[in-house]
Amino acid sequence: MDKKINPITTEIIRNAFVSIAQDMNATLIRSAYTPIIYEGKDCSVALLDENGDVLGQSLGLPLFLGNLEICVKLIADKIGWDAFKPGDVFYMNDSYMTGTHLNDSTIVTPIFWNNKRVGFTAARAHWLDIGAKDPGAPMDSHEIYQEGMRWGPTRIYESGEPREEILDFFKRNSRFGYGLIGDMNAQIAACRTGENRFQAVLNRFGHETVILARDEIFRQSEKLERDTVQNIPDGVYTAEGTLDDDGLGSDPIPIKVEVQISGDEMTVDLAGSANQTHGPINCGFAQTISAVRVAFKLLVNPNRPVDGGTFKTLTVTAPEGSLFRAQEPAACAWYFTPLGLLIDLIPKALSDILMDSVAAAHYGDSMVIYVSGQDPRKGNSPFLSVEPTPGGWGAYKTGDGQDALINNVNGSFKDLPIEVYENKYPIMLKRYGFRTDTGGAGQTRGGTGIYREYHMQTSSSLYLWFERSLTPAWGIFGGKDAAPPDVVINPGSENEHHLLKASALPLQANDVVLTQTGGGGGFGEPWKRDAEKVREDVIDGYVSHDGAEQDYGVVLHDDLTIDKDATEARREAMGL
Amino acid sequence: MTNYRVSADIGGTFTDFVVEKDTGQVFTGKVSTTPNNPALGVLSGLKELIPTPETIDFLVHGTTVGLNAFLERKGERVLLIMTGGVSDAYSIARGDRKELYTLKYRKPERLVPRRDVHEVRERIKWDGSVLEPLNREDFDPIIEKINREGINAVAICFIHSYVQPQHELEARKILNKALPNLSVTLSHEIAREWREYERSSSAVTNAYIAPIVERYLVSLEKNVRSMSVKSTLHVMQSSGGVITLGAAQKKPIYTLLSGPVGGTIGGVALSNSLERPNLLCVDMGGTSFDLSLVINGQPEITSETELEGLPLLMPMVNIHTIGAGGGSLAWLEAGAVRVGPKSAGALPGPVCYGNGGTQPTITDANLFLKRLGSGSLLSGRMTLDEEITADAIQNMAVEVGLDGIAFAEGMLAITNAKMADAMRTITVEQGIDPRDFSLLAFGGAGPMHAVWLARELEISEVIIPRFPGTFSAWGMLQTDVRQDLTKNYYCPLDKVMSDELENRFSELESEGKSALISEGVPDDQIFFLRTADMRYIGQEYSVNVEISSGNDLEKIEHIFHQAHYTRYGHSTPDAPVEFVNLRLAALGRLKKISGPTSVTETISSDPVIGTRNTIFDGKEQTTTVYRRDRLALGSQLPSPAVIEENSATTVVPPGYDIHIDQLGNIVVTPGAI
Repeated sequence: MDKKINPITTEIIRNAFVSIAQDMNATLIRSAYTPIIYEGKDCSVALLDENGDVLGQSLGLPLFLGNLEICVKLIADKIGWDAFKPGDVFYMNDSYMTGTHLNDSTIVTPIFWNNKRVGFTAARAHWLDIGAKDPGAPMDSHEIYQEGMRWGPTRIYESGEPREEILDFFKRNSRFGYGLIGDMNAQIAACRTGENRFQAVLNRFGHETVILARDEIFRQSEKLERDTVQNIPDGVYTAEGTLDDDGLGSDPIPIKVEVQISGDEMTVDLAGSANQTHGPINCGFAQTISAVRVAFKLLVNPNRPVDGGTFKTLTVTAPEGSLFRAQEPAACAWYFTPLGLLIDLIPKALSDILMDSVAAAHYGDSMVIYVSGQDPRKGNSPFLSVEPTPGGWGAYKTGDGQDALINNVNGSFKDLPIEVYENKYPIMLKRYGFRTDTGGAGQTRGGTGIYREYHMQTSSSLYLWFERSLTPAWGIFGGKDAAPPDVVINPGSENEHHLLKASALPLQANDVVLTQTGGGGGFGEPWKRDAEKVREDVIDGYVSHDGAEQDYGVVLHDDLTIDKDATEARREAMGL
Repeated sequence: MTNYRVSADIGGTFTDFVVEKDTGQVFTGKVSTTPNNPALGVLSGLKELIPTPETIDFLVHGTTVGLNAFLERKGERVLLIMTGGVSDAYSIARGDRKELYTLKYRKPERLVPRRDVHEVRERIKWDGSVLEPLNREDFDPIIEKINREGINAVAICFIHSYVQPQHELEARKILNKALPNLSVTLSHEIAREWREYERSSSAVTNAYIAPIVERYLVSLEKNVRSMSVKSTLHVMQSSGGVITLGAAQKKPIYTLLSGPVGGTIGGVALSNSLERPNLLCVDMGGTSFDLSLVINGQPEITSETELEGLPLLMPMVNIHTIGAGGGSLAWLEAGAVRVGPKSAGALPGPVCYGNGGTQPTITDANLFLKRLGSGSLLSGRMTLDEEITADAIQNMAVEVGLDGIAFAEGMLAITNAKMADAMRTITVEQGIDPRDFSLLAFGGAGPMHAVWLARELEISEVIIPRFPGTFSAWGMLQTDVRQDLTKNYYCPLDKVMSDELENRFSELESEGKSALISEGVPDDQIFFLRTADMRYIGQEYSVNVEISSGNDLEKIEHIFHQAHYTRYGHSTPDAPVEFVNLRLAALGRLKKISGPTSVTETISSDPVIGTRNTIFDGKEQTTTVYRRDRLALGSQLPSPAVIEENSATTVVPPGYDIHIDQLGNIVVTPGAI
């Protein structure tokens, strides 16, 4: 029996799937308790079919791309596909299963229609505190048992009834138990929204039609991707880089990718990358797959929504026990640090054959600063500021890399305004700006990093996680590498010192912390850059007068007009 | 002698007029917009429509002059001055990505390049105390540059100026002493709120459009006065209230989105007169679909928006825009049918316009299905080509194995479902159930799709107002004078002194009152709306709650918990609450026409102007075509029906009851089965 479905119905159902995921996301964002979800958008939701394949997904965080179906399948593996009951709710957060740190908590519910299990909804969100040894996520853990409670697939509602003893356990094991339960309820509400909307679609079209539409939608998505990959020349392409350390002062950590294109299939193999590390930068395999999918999506049909037909052309492999396929008891709190580099390396590997699509590397990691202490202005109430820091992105063939932009594994994060920061925390931000000459020089220029200067008004503790000093953002096609990050305590004083990572470093009132992020890599030979553009960059202060001459061979007079003869001579020498 | 109230909505192509006579009669008019100086179009419309301009009591208009300058990047060159050390906060623009899957992301292009952002040394602390006084010498090179490069507009944004504006005020004095004609915008005067990037962006935008808007308003005033109009001229603001031309010149940014909000304010007026507290207002035109909400008889006002990715802190009616309209194009991909969001635009436009378009649009599908007649547009002044339209639709239909009718109905079904889905998501975000609303549809294409949208969302009543194509202009006649004032007030609720709130609001009220009096509003017509931005301590976003009822803190706290519950689905009654901003809307009531208004044409002529074999659900059905302005108030019509008027066509499929209410609205409800 080969039933055909009307393409109009398919398109209406396809749009409905995308829209259901958006409604679920709107419900989650609307009801979440903690800002990391409703402002940081550290979450993801999906509607899935009866086999656990994605019908529609809505993302806050790119890293969760195509990761929720794995959770559904893991639960089914554990309890059996026939064991789901209407009203059940499942929970899991095990890093080795879901792939991310334990804070990322996934809720899954089955959907029933006419007494038949027809699908699932899933909602993941970052829970602020899950009882790790330090608040939030520890920076110096070396085994997972220090990182909070860890759950395999667990039924937390049975046939609509909460299992109170489990919810009670959740609450008792978090420093912010009240908000945790609120966030969990928001996730369940998001799943219910998806369930109701999916049932309405089934009521309107019937199950058989929806299944036919699904098959057709998956076929379309797969075909569009296969067509794109087919056009990439066959071959084996590699790239490698290093992380500074594992967060606990190790030697540099090598990361290596090998991308094989064969017909309409792409395989990414991560053998050759480091084994799992002592420090907390390990990652479960599920999350590794998601990160590779992000890189794939950056290059293949980036504007199309994700469904069960997407990523059929992509295979990811990594050896067990490597940091990309970590095993118990590896620590995983900073699992995203190697992923930021991994996502940079895949376009690098493919740059020779996808020159028009790729970009040079970006500054690389979230570059996180925490400051904690007590605020004397508010009766010594405790405060904890948590900030990632923007930096430069890589140049690409047709444009300069963006200056001062948040990194690739983060979602739509915005920096904290100085005015808000100074009201909330007893710290002054006296300087914030672009770091001149930190973007990699090139025919198109890498984006510049930034500096941000914190002046302590009271004694406090400093935590830092800055990365990618050993492999700063590289240039491609002759473009230059960007400047690396650097953090300075009390710059210009006699006790000035430089560091990139710190955990609970004590600071006194009037101490100054200067954070500086790296730039993005350049694209193409710098001496080929339009001299007028170099001059514009000098006028705007992204490149210095000297930098123009040394990096680009553009010699400027004092009034910033171009010295044509000197420039020509200098550039000719550079081109040799 | 007849007195008139007149509104003009200046759009991209046409300037729409609505005129109310004191006898209660209403009529509309339309002239071509004169893009180089829109004042001329307004003038020619007034000449054409009003025999005695000296008896115009009230003249309001919505202008796109500022918006166009902004969108086309044709505003004034602006120099921005910020606090020493942190001026890059403007260019960093908070560092966020608005698109996640691209290596080539570029931030929205800002209005001031970094080379024109300058610093002066000064620093105010978070509590308003001065850490470093304003350094006057730092202005010397800036003044020299302004002179040398002939810069006309400056924006100033100093850190924490929303608490302590002293340095911004001093800076303006210094600049204006040296450069008396320089236009200077101070950030705290535009938006007295924290967040230096958003505030500087707002100040820059104001400075960017100020000289252009001012030139236009001066020209308008001069021209209108020359035809002996005596009444004060008003401009619509984005907030849904009006201000006088003089006030508009001080804060032109407040008029930036003055056109589209007229529709929502018209919705508010209808909501009150029809006793329908909740309305979903949809305005569907050629390229976009605008949705706004009237909840409990009030427009949804937001204090912040983004335009072309640039943030603006200003009170405005919240309008959600979706890329769907009459011009949305159908296209094929991997055997699938897609519709929009790409639009055929003005050129070539839909296939049926005969301007070379070959790809079918929504308008073409409506024509093919005979929901739209070939002579329906602009009273038959434009004829649509049915033959080439049918070819275009059938050619595409064949490729996916459908006949033309199934394909055309399919295009509409896809678009209607998409619009309904988007509407549903927006209501879910707001914690609202669309089934509690009536659907008010206007714009050229809104009345053609409204019934299907309502069906998708299970809304049981559709209202098509009179003059749906010029409804925004009508709405402008239903407004009050409005001045919005804000005071940053960052304070935990349990630390508020009992009379502090009253004192701060009193200050705002006296400021608002004197502003309205200078606008010519009589004392006894002034009233105030007090609101506060509040949140749980630790939250970043706040909820704006109305607290006009008094300063009882316990009560305010209770109102906040309730508002939080409505908006976010939960509240935490035992968690501490704080204030962020106090806001005051000072409103001046305007005299409006009371009682029902009558239609202009005599109703004696037959409203039925023909029949068409319109297609609904794959079947041809004989459908009566009516002329709207001949339909008597109170009449009932059977469905299916097509109701035509100059600016729009209403289509009602079989199975609905149609009623013309006492105000002339078309009200459509599901019929008894």
